Amino acid sequence: MDFTIRAANLEDCKDIARMTLELAEYEKVSEHVKVTQKDLEQDGFCKNPFFHGIVAEVPDQHRTKDGHVKIGFALYFYSYSSWKGRSVYMEDLYVMAEFRGKGIGKALMSKVAQLGMAAGCNQLNFTVLDWNKASMDFYMSQGCFDVTANFGYHYMKCEGEALERLAQP
Amino acid sequence: MKFKIRTAKQEDCKEISRMIMDLAVYEKMPEQVKISHRELERDGFCHNPFFECLVAEVPEEHKSSQGHTTVGYALYFYTYSTWKGPSVFIEDLYVMPEYRGKGIGSSLMAKVAQVGKEKQCVRLQLSVLDWNTPSLDFYVRKGAQDLTASEGWHALRFDGEALDKLAAEAPKD
Repeated sequence: MDFTIRAANLEDCKDIARMTLELAEYEKVSEHVKVTQKDLEQDGFCKNPFFHGIVAEVPDQHRTKDGHVKIGFALYFYSYSSWKGRSVYMEDLYVMAEFRGKGIGKALMSKVAQLGMAAGCNQLNFTVLDWNKASMDFYMSQGCFDVTANFGYHYMKCEGEALERLAQP
Repeated sequence: MKFKIRTAKQEDCKEISRMIMDLAVYEKMPEQVKISHRELERDGFCHNPFFECLVAEVPEEHKSSQGHTTVGYALYFYTYSTWKGPSVFIEDLYVMPEYRGKGIGSSLMAKVAQVGKEKQCVRLQLSVLDWNTPSLDFYVRKGAQDLTASEGWHALRFDGEALDKLAAEAPKD
């Protein structure tokens, strides 16, 4: 199936918001999603954007039954390793269910890697849930390694009241 | 002991680099450190910096046995959660051993949280090695939750040849 990968623009935020919710449902955490289309527009397309996006599109003849042609996306931003330097972090990688198995996810991830390397990055980092075998198998087949399993790194977060308390002067 | 937390300047990068190596030694992976103060100077102080940094300083009379007055740092950057919005990630938090237990680590972490809040961040994240009990305990006391333990999140990475190969397979524009 023909598809194109291109940089996301402001108008894509509606579809990115839709697919973000689909991804959250897949990850069984849709009630946690607070970000809206408007937030994505503000945060991704301001003077110093918090993230960058790429979108996968199919030709009109392959549109979904709901009429969507934007059928996958990857959202990423630049980060830093104090050991290795510039890095790129892939926050989301998603392809709508009926378009999987056609190389679209791989193309999106490769594009993030290419863009990151062009910016001088030498690492591509992301996270995956341990029960998400389909994704884990996909990523491993592409040659990544599991930093948590191999080195024992745990991800921690502080939010809500705990963050308020922490930020007290 | 009196100490000051301030925003790092480009001139601090040599000291930050020294402490990055100390932290890597503590984490038992000094051979993993590939960048020097030069990369920090370039990447932290350019037009769109890749990170921000705070340093902790003590007065001259409390300098270390090697003459250092810069005794701790926090290196962080902004990230984005498509669920929750802007976040701040603490890449490194470090205080030299002889200056621990004096509130310096807490102050560095609190300052990052404050800076993050000013930028509308709703979350602060970091990673810690599972065997590093003193640090794990410190973060949990501060209200952090372990997402790997509670939800099963794993950090994955592409680097070296695997990254080169992946990038080479990107569709042409």
